[in-house]
Amino acid sequence: MRKTFAGLLATALLMTTAACSGDDNDTSPAADPNEKVALTYWSWAPNMDKVVEGWNATHPNIQVTVNKQDGGDPAVAKLLTAIKAGSGAPDVMQAEYQKIPTLVAADAVADIAKEAGDLKAKFPESAWNAVTLGGEALYGVPQDSGPMMFFYRSDIFDKAGVQVPKTWDEYAAAARTIHQKNPKQYLGTFSSNDPGWFAGLSQQAGASWWGVQGESWTVAVNDATTKKVAGYWGGLVQEGVIDNKPMYTPEWNAALNDGTQVGWLGAVWGPGVLEGNAASTKGKWKAALLPNWDAPANGNWGGSATSVTSQTKHKAQAAEFVKWLNTDPAALKALAGTANVYPAANDATSVALTAPPAFFSNQPDFYTIAAEAGKITKPFTYGPNVNVAYSSYNDAFGKAAEGRKAADFGAALDTIQQATVSDLKNAGFTVAG
Amino acid sequence: MAVAVLPDTVKPAPAVIRSPRRTSPTATVLLLLGAAYCLLPVLWVVIASTKSASELFNTFTFLPSTHLFDNIAYLTEYRGGLYWRWMVNSALFAGGGAAASTLVSAMAGFALAKYDFRGKSVVFNMVLGGVLMPAVILAVPQYLLLAKVGMTNTYWAVLLPSFISPYGIYLCRIFAAATVPDEVLEAARMDGATDWRAFARVALPMMRSGLVTVFLFQFVAIWNNYMLPFIMLGDDKLFPVTVGLSGLLNQGATQPAMYTSVVTGAFLSIIPLVVLFLTLQRYWRVDLGAGAVKA
Amino acid sequence: MRTGRAPYAFLAPALVLFAAFLAAPIVYAGYLSLRRVKVSGLGLGAGARTEVWAGLGNYARSLTDPEFVPSVVRVGAYGLIVVPVMLGLALVMALLLDAGRTRVGTFARTSIFLPYAVPAVIASLLWGFLYLPRVSPIVDVLGAVGITAPDALSSSWVLYAVANIAIWGGTGFNMIVLYTALRAIPTDLFEAARIDGASDIQIALRIKVPIIGPSLVMTFLFSLVATLQVFAEPMTLRPLSNTISTTWTPLMKVYRDAFVRNDIYSAAATSVVIAAATFLISYGFLKLVGSRAFSQER
Repeated sequence: MRKTFAGLLATALLMTTAACSGDDNDTSPAADPNEKVALTYWSWAPNMDKVVEGWNATHPNIQVTVNKQDGGDPAVAKLLTAIKAGSGAPDVMQAEYQKIPTLVAADAVADIAKEAGDLKAKFPESAWNAVTLGGEALYGVPQDSGPMMFFYRSDIFDKAGVQVPKTWDEYAAAARTIHQKNPKQYLGTFSSNDPGWFAGLSQQAGASWWGVQGESWTVAVNDATTKKVAGYWGGLVQEGVIDNKPMYTPEWNAALNDGTQVGWLGAVWGPGVLEGNAASTKGKWKAALLPNWDAPANGNWGGSATSVTSQTKHKAQAAEFVKWLNTDPAALKALAGTANVYPAANDATSVALTAPPAFFSNQPDFYTIAAEAGKITKPFTYGPNVNVAYSSYNDAFGKAAEGRKAADFGAALDTIQQATVSDLKNAGFTVAG
Repeated sequence: MAVAVLPDTVKPAPAVIRSPRRTSPTATVLLLLGAAYCLLPVLWVVIASTKSASELFNTFTFLPSTHLFDNIAYLTEYRGGLYWRWMVNSALFAGGGAAASTLVSAMAGFALAKYDFRGKSVVFNMVLGGVLMPAVILAVPQYLLLAKVGMTNTYWAVLLPSFISPYGIYLCRIFAAATVPDEVLEAARMDGATDWRAFARVALPMMRSGLVTVFLFQFVAIWNNYMLPFIMLGDDKLFPVTVGLSGLLNQGATQPAMYTSVVTGAFLSIIPLVVLFLTLQRYWRVDLGAGAVKA
Repeated sequence: MRTGRAPYAFLAPALVLFAAFLAAPIVYAGYLSLRRVKVSGLGLGAGARTEVWAGLGNYARSLTDPEFVPSVVRVGAYGLIVVPVMLGLALVMALLLDAGRTRVGTFARTSIFLPYAVPAVIASLLWGFLYLPRVSPIVDVLGAVGITAPDALSSSWVLYAVANIAIWGGTGFNMIVLYTALRAIPTDLFEAARIDGASDIQIALRIKVPIIGPSLVMTFLFSLVATLQVFAEPMTLRPLSNTISTTWTPLMKVYRDAFVRNDIYSAAATSVVIAAATFLISYGFLKLVGSRAFSQER
């Protein structure tokens, strides 16, 4: 009996080793202009297939198929698994800015600097830095950006006699007034489920959680600036004037609908979210710049680039498509109008964003404010293990928010810092400091 | 005690049993409470799928509305009817996977129950080990291995792993042991039937009801599976309905979750299984203990 | 009992599939659990990552992770709630059905079995709507009669909230298993007792339950295994609350390491630990009850 089992084990092992020596064919073909190629494109933006129709109609030799994915995290998880396996990745991939260092470190995205040509002048500097990591390589073309904005229910503000807060002190005061006038109402919520949101708020305050020093990485999740931001929110949550429940839950939707969440620190793509979740409140919202700490500044939440994966067999054609998608006026128009994204390209304001989003039709200067918000965005560097820091954020701030104690918010940052640094060290990165 | 399992089979279990008895209000009340507990969330989906997006969050939960057909129409329009393609894929994965795995299990269970051979207990213990193995653990290595042969992102990537069901083999061994008498097989052999013929013509029909159970069991398991297709498939035209719906729910921070479509889609996706249950209910007789009962 | 080569032929498809889709992945997971990625420099540029042997380092990190032990304890507590309640309910419902003293038997049996048809992901979403205070009808109804319902997803209730979903989904299936076993009991075994004046409850406890003992043992074992694997329910509820962490159960930690942190090596190590623990507990349990459920003889 033992023999049989050993035999089976040996068979299994054999299969495994056979399977491990897979082929890695590295074909970088010279592009033949008449060659017919089919590209696959993973994206989670709505209606991206309709945007791509515009390309397919005019490029019969390069046909692109969109495979809609589950949003940024699952798409990257799947891509990285496919890269590890050596096959199964798409040719083109939507990649959030904060994931680009991770993707580059995993050798998942290709450098298309040569194929795409010089595009630097077409994009704002922060977006360009995110896709080049400050070097000569180009790991994707910026698609959309997410300067943060403050959305508020102007009808409820008027009734409560609250002015639009210009500073975080005023925001805190407004939060107190609104909650005192109606204990069911909150000006906002601290979401333990949205690390990107908190990173944007920290970015606005001047934090940059990662950095490069020579050949080492630095990590500064728990620096004084971020601690200030966490302490501020911890104080408001402890006081009870800001809610402590995550965003994007059915409960949050209900609160947006019935007017118990009267404000939202969102980003430029916010109108789509508000419209989808609380269509009945149309016309009652206004958008403004984020409140400030001192001088006007802003952070980013969301935003992504379109990258060419390292597994594509048609790098040149893929790069051409990616360039068209994010710079061609017709494509920009479709991106803004059909896929509901805020294009990163500088031209977008003049070619695509001439009218406010439908949900904010009462605010003709919506995109003027958005442009201003984009202009004052502070620099921020993402590291190669953003995913580790972000998942640690979920757990650490989940506990802190549930406990409603200000001191725990600062401690949560220490937990994240520790998890992030030890993960980098464990993988063999050198970490300074 | 001779095993009294599933004597023959196609007889529906009578609703009123044995000797006619007085009804007991306590029993009725308890059973109705149990039924209410189980039906309430289902009722919620049915009612919620009749609501428009803002009604879903604004109106009292159990107050039905009139938007069911709007919701279905909207869901049908989504990416050119992709939802219905997901349903077809689910049916294909579950139907094909369950059929193949029932046959594989029947053969293996028959061999384990009716033959003596070297390594039998090793095989049986392996099967039991397989029953205990969580699918989440298997999914990643399965993906990496299938990727080596270039089979990920195909129907086969989801179908092939579902062909093997240790639990199905376990059940089939029980059914074969309980329903196929040795004498009948012996008689078939006397008549000159090959082993395969004895299996296909004699044993299979006798195991019929058990096989339907295994088929249904595996069908439900595959239909409800999320992890394996989620990992294996990148092309959303190949998704089963579970993966597709979760995609509508998790659209990332910059997009609102399509709650109305998810709820409507969930409601529609339950219907085929409910129909399957109601029509084949009499086959749902899983006697796990039978294999253990010793003469 | 017959012998010869035929059994191998009958087993061949199962064995090939078993080797390819169960054995090989497990062996591969074992291999991965001993490997890790080694980065050089900033880790940016092609070829900056290489895979190297890690020895038992992944196991050491997995077992010493401060979140690991609490997640194991949590699953233990969860099991202590789910398994007895679910099987208790299933047994009571099966006995009530079998006693046949009601006209609602078919309706009740179908209704209680129905949740089995609902995928765990969807079931958790439904219950999520029923749990969240602001959208929950349960909270509305209780509020109308003056009871302030607790927040089901708060830290003191969340374990029960997750357990409830599993109980809801699993009671029906177990009820059917037990009901099948009860229906197989020959009537004459308890008709005599009935004539002697034994009540239904006495017959159930003294005669029926002992006879279906083996079925109870098996449902217990399979429920136990399912409990150790709890994953889909907390995973779906997690984004709705602050109280479910990404490592709330051991399998969630496997998922997080493999898919969120892109560290399949640690995930593989934790997987191997979970698989080994599952075997130990299952076999330990079977030894304990001395069941011959798995025996070869008939």
